[in-house]
Amino acid sequence: MEKTEVLATLEKIFSEVLKCPDIKLDYSMTTKDVDGWDSITNMMIISDVEKHYGIHLKLREIIKMKNVGGLCDVIMERAE
Amino acid sequence: MEFEKNITLPLLRSLTANETNNALCIEGRFYTYRELATAIAKIRRKLHKVAETHIGLVANNDLETYASIFALWLEGKCYVPLHPGQPLQRCMDIIGQVGIHVVLDSSEATRYHEQNVMMTAQMEGDTPTMDAPKPCTDEETAYILFTSGSTGRPKGVPISRGNLAAFVDAFYQLGFRLNASDRCLQMFDLTFDLSVQSYLLPLLNGACAYTVDPEMIKYQAVFELLDEYHLTFALMVPSVIHYLRPYMDEIQVDEMRYSLFCGEALNMSDTDQWSRCVPNAEIWNVYGPTECTIYCTAYQYKRGKENKGANGIMGIGRAMSGVKTVIADDNGNICKAGEKGELCLAGNQLTQGYWKNDEKNHEAFFHIQGERYYKTGDICQMDKDGDILYAGRKDSQVKIQGYRIELSEIECVARKFYDDKRAVVALPIYDEARNCTIHLVVEDLDKGKANALTDYLKNFLPAYMMPTEIHYMEHFPLNVNNKIDRKKIALSIK
Repeated sequence: MEKTEVLATLEKIFSEVLKCPDIKLDYSMTTKDVDGWDSITNMMIISDVEKHYGIHLKLREIIKMKNVGGLCDVIMERAE
Repeated sequence: MEFEKNITLPLLRSLTANETNNALCIEGRFYTYRELATAIAKIRRKLHKVAETHIGLVANNDLETYASIFALWLEGKCYVPLHPGQPLQRCMDIIGQVGIHVVLDSSEATRYHEQNVMMTAQMEGDTPTMDAPKPCTDEETAYILFTSGSTGRPKGVPISRGNLAAFVDAFYQLGFRLNASDRCLQMFDLTFDLSVQSYLLPLLNGACAYTVDPEMIKYQAVFELLDEYHLTFALMVPSVIHYLRPYMDEIQVDEMRYSLFCGEALNMSDTDQWSRCVPNAEIWNVYGPTECTIYCTAYQYKRGKENKGANGIMGIGRAMSGVKTVIADDNGNICKAGEKGELCLAGNQLTQGYWKNDEKNHEAFFHIQGERYYKTGDICQMDKDGDILYAGRKDSQVKIQGYRIELSEIECVARKFYDDKRAVVALPIYDEARNCTIHLVVEDLDKGKANALTDYLKNFLPAYMMPTEIHYMEHFPLNVNNKIDRKKIALSIK
């Protein structure tokens, strides 16, 4: 799995959850940089990510993800 | 003077007796009581030549902002928090309503160009010693907080030094005790009055207050603090444990002594699960509108016993010391036990009235046998033991993550976009997990203006009031009374 692939999947998930078609993400983006990414939508995004990759993320892993890149890294670690 | 007795003197004692102890933990960095005192002293010196009483305070998450609060109180002045993340328009409205000319700002650069801005981070001073507090009566204002207003503009709630002193006394009368070894959560924006209990009580007692990084997702930031620092006292909004529910098996804070909830309905089931995460803590559900200083009723959760509640929502208990509660019907008559009515509050914590708003004061306050009561808009009933059970709202106000939102404020702003030529409704939509989001529905076929409407709303509404989705409908359905049928609209957009 390539990091770029994961980013593309995340863009799809974010687009759906945030109801914002064709969202473009980069690794450095945080909740500040993405409209509508807050507590509620974050839960929905994590849930979709877990379903898509068949993984279960622990809270301690989730809080370590400071940005989109961090989320990609955790996915790549766990989804092997 | 009660403020002097309950707040000023204990604060000054705390600042000198605990010099080397930690007072604040902000984004991983600790500040001692000496550092806090030094910052307070330098800001006080600059405030000596300021004549104004009501001072704007940019609500940043840093030492200077907290020091400013105390500096203002010691100078006999009052703070009016201005949220750095809220639209400038909204903050300027607040400045206009109060008549603010001076703003304290700890940022590097300010966005207030028409006021006298004092940049607190640039002030110099390296001594914690300061003059005696300026004499001031309990009637003077301690802070003015603005809450969502149903007419489209936020309304100001002034809380006096006397109100705040009464709250501090009532807090201790519940049996809560804090000391220098306590580590306390402060998770709230300074524009939210729950922040006041969260920063003030620890600092009056030599404890350390741990603040939450405003850039982080709240429930994650809270977990990080609880887990890393093993906090001993936490006042939280219920939605935090609601979001943490799937992860509760990872949470264990044996050191927690007090876990308080306030700001929105507390789910009984979430609390049962949470009680295992904090096995040694007293768990309390506390309630109160901003108008009655922070919180004014309290209920203690009991493990392994049946807890008071209705529809899965925990009861809000009884009046704290100095507070009076009454459940009244539409005619102002007191309801019997078990009868639902509007909860009304009186006593020492009650605000003197909304800021320069006779109309709202006339609507919201009334007298029962010479005592002044405030109509909360919360529908409740008292059980035979005198405990209050919460049943819902009387009007169109919702709470999301503890934030008070008047749906009509959102509707007012949206209608202005259309020059009042279109009808709009703002609806709270609940998902299966009971998370609430706001949806805006416009009576129009033209979806092309959606982006412009969103941008317009962003200029007036804080982020937590922004609708998550905008829908369009050709004609709003009407009910039998010829009023817009909100229930039908809600069903059709789900």
